[in-house]
Amino acid sequence: MPVSSDILPLQKTSDPATAAEVVDLVQQARAATTPLYPIGGGTSLHFGLRAKTPGWGVTLSKLNRVVDFPARDMTITVEAGITLAELAQTLAAEGQRLPVDVPAADKATVGGVIATNWNGPRRYGQGSLRDFVIGIEAVDGTGLLFHGGGRVVKNVAGYDFCKLLTGSLGTLGIITQVTFKVRPIPERSAWLACSLSSPKQAEAMLAALQQSAVVPAAVELLAGPVWQSQSALDELKLDPRGYALLVLLEGTAAEVLWMKDHLRREWRDAGVVNPLMEDGCAAPWLQIIEFSADLDSPITVQASVKPSGVLPFIEVCRQRDPNCSVLAHAGNGTVFVRFATFPDKGLGQLLLGDLQPAASAQQGHVVILNAPPGAEATNQSYWGGEAPLALMTAVKRRFDPLNLLNRGRFVY
Amino acid sequence: MTTIVPPTTQTLTRLADELRRAIGSENVLTARSDLLVYECDGFVIEKNSPDVVVFPRSTADVVKVVQCCNRADVPFVPRGAGTSLAGGCLPIGGGVMIVLTRLKNILEINYRDRYAVVEPGVVNVHLTNALKGSGYHYAPDPSSQGACTIGGNVATNSGGPHTLKYGVTVNHVLGIEAVLADGSVVQLGGPAEDPLGLDLVGAMVGSEGTLGIVTKVWVKLTRNPQGWRTMLAIFESCDDATQAISEIIGAGIVPAALEMMDQGILVAIEAAFGFGFPLDAQAILLIEVDGLEAGLDQQRDQIVELCKRSNAREVRLAKDEKERLKLWKCRKQAFGAIGRLSPSYCTQDGVVPRTQLPNILRKIIEIGTRYDLKIVNVFHAGDGNIHPILLFDERQPEQVERVLLASNEILEACLASGGSVTGEHGIGVEKIHFMQKMFTPDDLQAMDNLRQAFNPLGKLSPQKMLPTAGGCGMEQKHPGRRAAL
Repeated sequence: MPVSSDILPLQKTSDPATAAEVVDLVQQARAATTPLYPIGGGTSLHFGLRAKTPGWGVTLSKLNRVVDFPARDMTITVEAGITLAELAQTLAAEGQRLPVDVPAADKATVGGVIATNWNGPRRYGQGSLRDFVIGIEAVDGTGLLFHGGGRVVKNVAGYDFCKLLTGSLGTLGIITQVTFKVRPIPERSAWLACSLSSPKQAEAMLAALQQSAVVPAAVELLAGPVWQSQSALDELKLDPRGYALLVLLEGTAAEVLWMKDHLRREWRDAGVVNPLMEDGCAAPWLQIIEFSADLDSPITVQASVKPSGVLPFIEVCRQRDPNCSVLAHAGNGTVFVRFATFPDKGLGQLLLGDLQPAASAQQGHVVILNAPPGAEATNQSYWGGEAPLALMTAVKRRFDPLNLLNRGRFVY
Repeated sequence: MTTIVPPTTQTLTRLADELRRAIGSENVLTARSDLLVYECDGFVIEKNSPDVVVFPRSTADVVKVVQCCNRADVPFVPRGAGTSLAGGCLPIGGGVMIVLTRLKNILEINYRDRYAVVEPGVVNVHLTNALKGSGYHYAPDPSSQGACTIGGNVATNSGGPHTLKYGVTVNHVLGIEAVLADGSVVQLGGPAEDPLGLDLVGAMVGSEGTLGIVTKVWVKLTRNPQGWRTMLAIFESCDDATQAISEIIGAGIVPAALEMMDQGILVAIEAAFGFGFPLDAQAILLIEVDGLEAGLDQQRDQIVELCKRSNAREVRLAKDEKERLKLWKCRKQAFGAIGRLSPSYCTQDGVVPRTQLPNILRKIIEIGTRYDLKIVNVFHAGDGNIHPILLFDERQPEQVERVLLASNEILEACLASGGSVTGEHGIGVEKIHFMQKMFTPDDLQAMDNLRQAFNPLGKLSPQKMLPTAGGCGMEQKHPGRRAAL
């Protein structure tokens, strides 16, 4: 896909069709000491600091084959440029899925999703992206084509490059191939939602869910104007200062039926009358999955805090910007905040003065998903400041000594 | 490649004095008779005494020890309870062994946020015991959980019978505090998910003590399932049993555990425990599903149906909790029963894609016949992790030779079918010669690059896991006896 020059300073873009061609490109870049910017579906190019050094784009869209799909082993090996939608389609033909929900699945690629470590609502019940990557192949900044893991679901031979590369933002290697373990598509799904007036009530409901016999697939907390215009939630009559709690249930028909009934009774005992109940998982779940990818808001951040810290963190954000919109995978402590206005005091000050202390107080951290060009904070503040940078830099230098891969976009 | 030059006696005497001053003489062992205890772990084929054993009581102690070792230019290796089956704790080149078993406090349990913070010397089952009655548990449960430590579990990325549904150690570790090879302390991750920057927690889990010394671990807590159904499916042939495994997994059922035992091991277990296993059966599957009560009968019926379709002679259901626990006891203590079959035995730890189980079992039988060795099988069938047990008499050198050759052939066959040479025991020193068969020189170079970033001088756990770290060409002489897996 064409990439606008205000996102990446590209001199040219190549589209290798094999891992060997990726190796060649890295070697050419090395000879020219020119940075390389790997590009998957181009959906997350705003994530990370803005690249400043002109370089070459590497589009992985031609590396889009299914390499091996032994469906009865519940594993699949694909090239990194395949989109999440194509992967989902291939798996669905065998009644299987990768239970990781990412925005713009028709564009987002496997390599890009792993590099940026995107996770969606189902991480609560199914596990995080990193739990499903069992094998990986990549080309490092010296042109070394390397593998980690394998194609079997249990394997402890060698260092776990699958984990190391997940969330590495393409700075240690250009991912070329991936093996996932996958899961069966559940028979049924349904969701319940209720409106909560105060953060105190919301925390009480979240804490109770933690003790419930019900095993949700997702526990989502919603707040702000974006959700008030969401027609699927009209019946909730969401208070502008309040919260909505949505719980996704998945399993066999009997399990979902039992969970719906049990949860409704638990909520009734907690004072929630007439919760919204729907079968399936269409609206607003599609909007929930897409929420974090929004580029219209001036600033979008992601906080990772301990689950009990979700509400205190959101409250700080709402104090700073009463019109911000919030989505939290509350069971996991993942909070996305879309601010409605750009802060007068600037991005760096918002981060250092408000958001990072609020996240730290909940033993977590906050990173920027999207901010306008020119509104940059420092590297340290952008990435939360607490990372053990020396060790990460040492790793980076071993994999990419000339700092060719995504130069300037990540922690080091 | 790092070459380990054995330290001189003078260096060691000075180092021991320094260590006594640093962490107290009651925490330092140097007597030859004391050191013998630490000459090997559960992998007893290769032995080497450390020169000094230390027992730090805090992260600060570990830092002091590492600093002393670095000043003296002496290698050091961490150790938990020493239950590793691959020689991960073998002190190659001697040096200082840092035993972490006195760092054994559970520092925090937080149910609302579903995590616990433990020191590395906490015995796996002690955490489970501390959680009793809370409705939560710590999911990784290796069969050695009564002895092994969580620090050791982190080092080897341990599994256990529940791996199939719940995942291995790396899926349950949120954060690590570690002392690095240069004596610096880092905290990676913590109570919140998603590390900031690179996932170095993920890189450290399973690194077999070569990247750092873990001094604190943030682990996830898992809700207990509402109920269980435990079944015993009896088959006339191994082929039918492995076919049933393939059918169950292929049908999209994720059992909590799916274990296979063949006739050879059943005879020994029956003699030891008298459960009432049919001795004429060629194989049995121990299958457990867990989760919401509302879904369990349906899953059970589906499994019974699939087993019958694969020619199961009979599928029995554990009638109550007592019978269920007895079944699991038979499985978990299977290795204790092997003494009835043979004076010595050697367990292998390979992995194959689950659809390849029928082929690999046939191959094992063929290899056993060719080398005239009795091989029995008890393993984690659901995730394709085989544990063929080769029976022999270690007093007969010629038998020992055959066991080594047969073991190698079995692991080669796992690789040929697209699998791995270790599912849960690790590489250590035992399987270092297989790394070059499983990975390309470039893969090993990348692994060495990672080690160099953490451990550039190679003084921490030298010559482990990677042949490029100087461990290649080590000759295996003796398959030894193995403890239970």
